[in-house]
Amino acid sequence: MNGSNSIFKPVRMVLLFNFLAFILMYFYGSENSLNVLLLGLAVIFTIGILYHIIKVYDWGDEYLFLIASMLCSIGILMIYRLDPDYGIRQIKWFGLGTAVFFLTFIFLGKTKFWSSKPMIYAYPLISIFLFSVTLIFGQRIGGAKNWIEIFGINVQPWEIIKLLYVFYAGLFFSNRELIYLPTVNLKGKAIKINSIFLFSLISYVHLGFLVLQREWGGAVLLFLIFFSFLYAFDNHRSFLFVNGVFALVGGFVGYLLLDHIQVRIWTWIDPWSDMAGKGYQITQSLFAIGAGGFFGTGIGLGNPEIIPEVHTDFIFSAICEEMGIFGGVAVVLLYFLLVYRGIKISLRIDNIFYKAASFGITAIFGFQTFIIIGGVIKLVPLTGITLPFISYGGSSLISTFLALGALQAVSMKNSFSASKVVEADE
Amino acid sequence: MFEILASFLKYVFIIIIYYFIYGIIRLIYLDISTTTHTGRSLSSKDPYLKLINRRESLNFKVEESYFLDSTKTIGRSNKNQIIIKDPFLSSEHAEFVFKNNYWYVFDLGSKNGVYVNNLKVEDIGQSLNDGDTIHLGQLDFIFVDQFDRSDR
Repeated sequence: MNGSNSIFKPVRMVLLFNFLAFILMYFYGSENSLNVLLLGLAVIFTIGILYHIIKVYDWGDEYLFLIASMLCSIGILMIYRLDPDYGIRQIKWFGLGTAVFFLTFIFLGKTKFWSSKPMIYAYPLISIFLFSVTLIFGQRIGGAKNWIEIFGINVQPWEIIKLLYVFYAGLFFSNRELIYLPTVNLKGKAIKINSIFLFSLISYVHLGFLVLQREWGGAVLLFLIFFSFLYAFDNHRSFLFVNGVFALVGGFVGYLLLDHIQVRIWTWIDPWSDMAGKGYQITQSLFAIGAGGFFGTGIGLGNPEIIPEVHTDFIFSAICEEMGIFGGVAVVLLYFLLVYRGIKISLRIDNIFYKAASFGITAIFGFQTFIIIGGVIKLVPLTGITLPFISYGGSSLISTFLALGALQAVSMKNSFSASKVVEADE
Repeated sequence: MFEILASFLKYVFIIIIYYFIYGIIRLIYLDISTTTHTGRSLSSKDPYLKLINRRESLNFKVEESYFLDSTKTIGRSNKNQIIIKDPFLSSEHAEFVFKNNYWYVFDLGSKNGVYVNNLKVEDIGQSLNDGDTIHLGQLDFIFVDQFDRSDR
């Protein structure tokens, strides 16, 4: 009955996992081993203190940060094992990420600035500005032109744009009856146009930029989020259907015209015919998952490093190889719980802006996970996108924590009953 | 050294992660579980508490009716048989006890008190009759007891 008071509280499980993981990292051996132990202590203290602050001050949902920190811990362990230098950097990004989470939560929780009406113009404009900057000054890394360099740091503007898009959608759906389309002439006739077309137009502009950047994973993600918004917040089923058909036709035309997409589709249908070439990545990923068995080879005892891009897109294969299918399923379950909490927060709140924003953020987490895990296990065609919280990458981790901070802020705005639940658990 | 540690810890990691998942699911379950007997028929001989408030106006989960088939405590804490996360309830607010052929309500030292027919329940408790209104926290219940106990 009083299990929540026992030493087996979920937060202690996260801390224990980190404790053991950092001991293992210490023995993994490299010149800065002692450094790792100190960073490990810092990580353990950060998670412990932040969790207790959330709990003591009733800052909304207590599970979001716990699940996120568990996923990050698995990620840090895996990345350190793949490349100690990346691992150290990931730990620092994690520290920065929690700070961003904290600040976003405070800022969005205390101010109404992000849901104020003028922002409905600001969000798309900032997004388009960032997209243009990326297109003009961007660097092409791995086929996609999605990086810009600011003061020597490479950042991926798309990671922020997807959040701005979700906030824009939130403002749109909360103020849609106020949106007045004055003199819209469609084919010479002045017709009263449903405001949903404006939202679709903005969404397709975003999509167009992503296609120009050849950020296919991003394009698929954005379309799925757009589609879910239409499904959840708009009741024109025929419009939803038209968009679905439009996407299928667009995808098919893209397949016919673009060599890039053809390769993706063919390596999905049959990676085995060109194992040494185009199908190399996906076949190595499948071998790695297969090699793991139930409990995996053990951290550091497998060979996941032969998969290209294993520390970002293919980290799930590495987890499956070294922590086994149980580890892989556990990661998927953790994302399930995260999405469940997100949808719950979205369902409970009455304000449409917060509802749409939390729904969109949850959709980002869920679809991103589906796209990349589906990709590496050859369930859907592979498109490069990061696994939230686990993949290596500063931009990705920071923006994910930003999104989590926003979700946490929404959960605190929920009815006070949600926060009293925490108290009753004592 | 590393190999031994790694091959041992892989099991430990799996156990920790799954125990973590179990813990989270358990806590979520405790959050959403309230004592509910909605499947039961109303003709049962057990009395029940019927909620008068409109459920939509309350921003916490509460059932339309709570059956009293045995001694039940009501409050915010998960230790109670009837858990209602009303912030105006104390963690252990009131207790419903059946003795000497009567149902009694006792105040378990709650902050905001228990009222039966608008009278505060004192330490000695208050017997309940069919149709009595019970007020606790933000909630108003009617005590419904269709069964004629004097026959027994």
